[in-house]
Amino acid sequence: MYPTHRSNDERLDALFRAYRASCPDRDAGANFMPELWKRIEARQTFTFSFRRMANAFVTAGLALTVVLGVYMAIPQRSPAYPVSYLQALADNNTLETPEIVGPVRLDLTDPGR
Amino acid sequence: MPAIKWCGMLVDFEVIKRARAGDSPAFNEIVLAYRKRILGTITRLIARQEDVEDVAQEVFLRLYFSLDQLRTAEVFEPWLYRLTVNAAYDYLRKQRRRQEYRMSDLSEQQVMMADAAAGGKVEHEEQQQKKVRESVDSLLGAVSEADRILLMLKEVEGLSLKELEKIYKVNENALKVRLFRARQRVLKAFGASGKREGTG
Repeated sequence: MYPTHRSNDERLDALFRAYRASCPDRDAGANFMPELWKRIEARQTFTFSFRRMANAFVTAGLALTVVLGVYMAIPQRSPAYPVSYLQALADNNTLETPEIVGPVRLDLTDPGR
Repeated sequence: MPAIKWCGMLVDFEVIKRARAGDSPAFNEIVLAYRKRILGTITRLIARQEDVEDVAQEVFLRLYFSLDQLRTAEVFEPWLYRLTVNAAYDYLRKQRRRQEYRMSDLSEQQVMMADAAAGGKVEHEEQQQKKVRESVDSLLGAVSEADRILLMLKEVEGLSLKELEKIYKVNENALKVRLFRARQRVLKAFGASGKREGTG
């Protein structure tokens, strides 16, 4: 049984001391170093593959950006769109909606005269 | 038993410098010098013998990949201790098996431990030690993994507040408060298990 005269604090300290004594320093097994190096090499391989993949993604991203940039730039220089957007819109809609896109004519003559 | 103190470099800083430059024999030298100490600390922090080597390898793995961050020799040991603490913490957090701890078993274990402490003849020493480890492991279920490790470093490893301050990089007063609260929680669990023993 517990010695009743001791406080919980003292008994807890004794338990920690017993715990310390039950876990002495120990040395590693024979496979410790080989296993450690295996893990290091596995991590290195993973890191290396990840870097290569990341580099490939960055390169592909840059190439795509350049291609898209060129693609976006080409239509602006194309002769297929020589006029402004509004003019092109008006040209395309003259038959369907002439009252909207047609020029406004103001009759300035006084009808009463 | 005197507590273990982490003092005195076991390798020259030159060796660390060489390891940092990618010299494998130098890194081996560091591991060979420190592994016994690290294994001992991890054994006491996680209380599960079967996983100790695995966690220790994780410590040295992290050491290998972070050596380039080390600037001066003085900080090597607190820094290695911090790696150890972090690896043990990660392990304990993953395990979470402490939720399954059985407080009902504690009384019997404590009785056996108290008998041993009282100088009673121990027939099965290995069994007793196992029981003590399980008992402390169960008691520390009353606190978080982080507080468990802090408490172990102070109470079992015997680190001073100054040393803990270097490892945790926090104010000494904050550490004192955390330690006090953690110990109070463990004491409460300890008292409760004692009462159960009394009534049971």
